[in-house]
Parts: sequence; C-alpha cells; structure tokens
Amino acid sequence: MEGKMDDAPAPKRAKIGSENTSKPIDNSTGNTMSGFKRDRHGNEKRFNNGPRPAPKPKVAVVRNAYTPMFEQLRDELDAHHDRRDRLGKVSRDITGLSKKIIFALQRVRTINPDLPPQIQAEVDSRLAEISKLLATMAPDVQGINRYRYSRSLMCLEELAEALTFAHYLKTQTLLKPDELSAFVEELTRKGAVSEDRDKDKDEPMPDAGNTPVPTSGEQETTDNDNKLAEKEEQRQSKLEPLTMSTTEDDYFYGVFDLSGEMMRFATTSTALTGKMAGAEDERTIVEDMHELGSFFEMLPMKAGDRKQWEKKLDVMRQSVRKVERLGYDRMIRGSERPQGWVPDLTADQPGDDEE
Amino acid sequence: MAPPMIDPALFDQLKDNIEKDSSIRKDLEQIIEELNQNVSYTQGVLTKIHSTPRSKYPALLSQVESGIKKELETTTRLAQFASQYPYYKYNYKWGRTLQDAIATVLLHAWLGGMGSDSKPGEVGRLLTLEEVGHVFEVPVNLKDRDAFHITIEEYLLALISVVEDLSRLAMNSVTLGDTELAVQISGFIKDLHGGFQMLNLKNDILRKRVDSVKYAVKKVEDVVYDLSLRNLIPAKDAQ
Repeated sequence: MEGKMDDAPAPKRAKIGSENTSKPIDNSTGNTMSGFKRDRHGNEKRFNNGPRPAPKPKVAVVRNAYTPMFEQLRDELDAHHDRRDRLGKVSRDITGLSKKIIFALQRVRTINPDLPPQIQAEVDSRLAEISKLLATMAPDVQGINRYRYSRSLMCLEELAEALTFAHYLKTQTLLKPDELSAFVEELTRKGAVSEDRDKDKDEPMPDAGNTPVPTSGEQETTDNDNKLAEKEEQRQSKLEPLTMSTTEDDYFYGVFDLSGEMMRFATTSTALTGKMAGAEDERTIVEDMHELGSFFEMLPMKAGDRKQWEKKLDVMRQSVRKVERLGYDRMIRGSERPQGWVPDLTADQPGDDEE
Repeated sequence: MAPPMIDPALFDQLKDNIEKDSSIRKDLEQIIEELNQNVSYTQGVLTKIHSTPRSKYPALLSQVESGIKKELETTTRLAQFASQYPYYKYNYKWGRTLQDAIATVLLHAWLGGMGSDSKPGEVGRLLTLEEVGHVFEVPVNLKDRDAFHITIEEYLLALISVVEDLSRLAMNSVTLGDTELAVQISGFIKDLHGGFQMLNLKNDILRKRVDSVKYAVKKVEDVVYDLSLRNLIPAKDAQ
C-alpha cells in the first residue's frame, strides 16, 4: 500500500454500494440471498465459467533493507500492546468486584469490629476472586513494568477504596498506606498459591484412568510445549510467587473516594438507626470526616495530575459539608425526629451532583 | 480511649513523600530544560543543511557534532539522575525532548556524520535503535531492570521527524543541483514507509505520527516525477 493510494481513485468495486441507491435492485428472480456480488448496475454478477475466481492474492509486502528491523520492533510493540490489553481486561473485572464489595459494605449500619456475617461472607468471596485476578496480573507488572502500566491498573484505586472502607467500618480508623500495600501484596500471593493448588488438582486427573482426548499431532506438540513452559513458570512461581502491590497514588485516590463512601454510610446509618455512626461518647463520623478533610487540605498538592487531585479534593469537601450538616441536624432536633426520616441534603446546594 | 481516626505520624510521612516527589520533578525539569536548549541549537544548525551543497557537508556536520556532544553530556546527567527512580514514573517528562535529540543524531548520521574508524560515515546510513543507544551510551528497550533507557517508541517517533526533514531536503537538494541526493532520499523514505506499514499500531501518538510518513512519500515522489519528466535523473540511479 503506497501512500499515494489515498489520492488515487478508488477501485470501481468499492462504489457498488453508492450506485445501488440510485437503481432499484432487481429482485425478480426471488433470490433474496445476499451472498452474491452485484455489478455496477446493481444486477447480480454471474460467473459463466465454473466457480467464481479466487480472490486476488494479497500483495506481499516488498521486503527491503529495513524490513527485518521493523519486524523486530513490531514484535516488541505487539507484546507491549498485548500486555496492556490483558491488564486492562483484568483491571475492569477487579474494579467491578471492588464496587460490589463497596455496595455490600454500604448495607452495614454501625461501626463494629465484626461485620454482619452475611456481609463479611460476601466480602470474603469477592476478595477471593480479586486475589486470583491479581495473581494473574502480577507477572505483567514486575520491575520496570509496574509504572509502565499504572494507567491500566486503575482497579487498584477502587480496591484501595473498598479496603479502606471496610477497615473504617471495623475500626473507625484510616488504613495506612503500608498496611494497604502489605494487604494487597498478601492477597496477590494467596491468589497465586490457590491458583497453583487448583492446577495441581487438575493435573493428576488424566492419569487416573481417563481416556485421553484425541487431538491432532500438531496440536499435541504445541500443547505439550505450552504445558512445559507453564510448568517451568509454575516451578518458578512456587519458589517465590510473583506479587504486586499498590502505590502511594493508588492510596491517595482510594482515600479520596473513601470520603464519599463515608458520607453515604453516614447518611443511611443516621437515617435508619437514628444515631450518628461511631462511638458516641468518644467521637462520631462527623469528626472523622472533619479530620480526613483537614488531612487532605493540609497536604501539599501532589504534582503530576493536578487537575485530578483538585477535582477529587473538591468532591471530598462537599462530602465533608454533607456530613457536618447531618451532625447539625442530629444535634438540633435529633430527639424530635421520627425514625426513618432522611434529611434533604441537596436543599441548600443547588447543582450539586451526587458524588 | 479509642485510637484516633488518622495515625499522627501518617501525615508527616505522606507530606514528606509528596515533597520529595516535587523536588525530584523540579530537578528533572532543570536537566530537561538544559537538554532542550542543546537540542534546539543542534536543530538550528541542522536547518542549514537545506541550503548547503554536499561538498560543504563536512564543515556543517562538525558544527552539528559539537551540538550533539552537548546533548550527549546532558543526557548522561539525565540518565544518571532518572535511573534512581522508577523509569516509567517520570519518563513522560523528557520523552519529547529526548526524541528530538535522537532525531538530530539520526539525521546527522544519515547525512554522513557519526563515522567511526571501523565504520566511516556515509550519506544514507540509518542508525538502528541499538546504535543510537551506543551513541548516547544508554541502554535501549530495557526490560530486565528499571533504569533510564531509550524506548522503541522514542526511536520510531524520532525517525519520523527525520523522514519529514529529509522530504524537505529532497526538494532543496534539487534546487542546489544535487538531483542524485533527491533520488536517494526518495528511495530511503519509501523503504521506511514500507517498514512503518508493518507495525500494528494502536490509536496512539505513534499512529498519528506514522500517518504523516505517507505525505513525505508523496512529496519525494512528486520531486522524482518532476525530475524524470525532464530527464534530470542521473543515469546510474535511473532504474
């Protein structure tokens, strides 16, 4: 394909579609099948002598002195794109699971070291899934690749949000970044180990008297090759399972979003229990929100993506306002308020989208 | 007494880290700015190629070489500094500048510079990614460890700038009476165009830039057409 082609008139064949519109299509033969070619007048194209001619062979790329170099670079770039696509897919799944954890946690009504058993069970099962997914990502984000693909790892922010939220609901404290990254690392390791165990379980099965599925010879060899490579990988991963973890950015943006979850939790729990969440004689979620707000206001702005930081900070400010309004309402007429009454938080903040 | 919402030590820890990050960025920006100045001087010298007959290349190329030497020195400092941190965390900051620096090196070599005792410079030589790495004395396409290096994307983007520059030179060399050079450039650009077509590009910056190569092809083809129409193509290159 020369660059010139762009300017050359398109071959006639390509125009069939547009010419069809001006001429009625001859359907008199009753042949409504679409699987035939039409000539430029819209009539069926017939090949009188036997089968239709074979399509023209694709013009082979003309090789020149630089072809091998570009082939090599292409393979490298392909590997990079494949890795990024792989990570992006798994990342979306982890994001979805993390969101489900957050939804489950929003059904909690009080801050308590033990989550309600049903919710805890749901969180655990989602985490087990996440753990396996993280393990599949780990080999692609080792060493230099961790930051290379950080944009494909947005799921970690969502996971950070879910984990810090669960931690808050249990302890009424903010999870620390070191604790978060240690937890995610452990999660990944567990995922790798359980994956290994599953494979080991699967492997002996063919030997246990099962009839082997017949396959063509060629496939078998490639299968075997793959298995050998897989086994080699497994052996390596058994020595030291590859792991991955969160960065400080994941933590920051996760905690920004945590403030939104805390606001939602404060609203529903106050409405449904008639009490401000938290140890009421010590401190409530209102004070926690204020502390979290001041924490971020005092931090210097993180260089890099200032826009995103500012936007998140702004959303967090609004969450803080909403919760302090809750606290005020509760203080001024908490006792007269019927149970189940939900304060209208949007009344004095027009144009405020739920975030 | 329940533990506080936020561990008091956490604030200082995070504040420290953010400040460290900012100061790294500032230091990087300083080095990159310097590299920018080196590059833009070298690029400026290279623009003279469009009005310089081939007989006077050696003098011009040695002037370019002095500019490139400064580029290399600054890049060495950049590499040393940047290698202390995760490469892909900051590489977007210098990507563009480094590409331009690579482009000056590629163009210089293509015009006959960058000769060594074992491999004398000659017009039409394309440095490979590995050779560019040797010139800059940095690794290329690094995968097994996290340090400064030149990426494939940077090399290819630089190559596209060179193609654009050469397509301009094809025209100007005709003006200077050097039709042979125009024909040579035409062959080179068409070969590279074939190469770029082999890449499976995603919808990113590389794709956008590769799109411009076909215009370079058109430009040089027009020049060659004009020449052949008037029988101005030197006999030995006529085939």
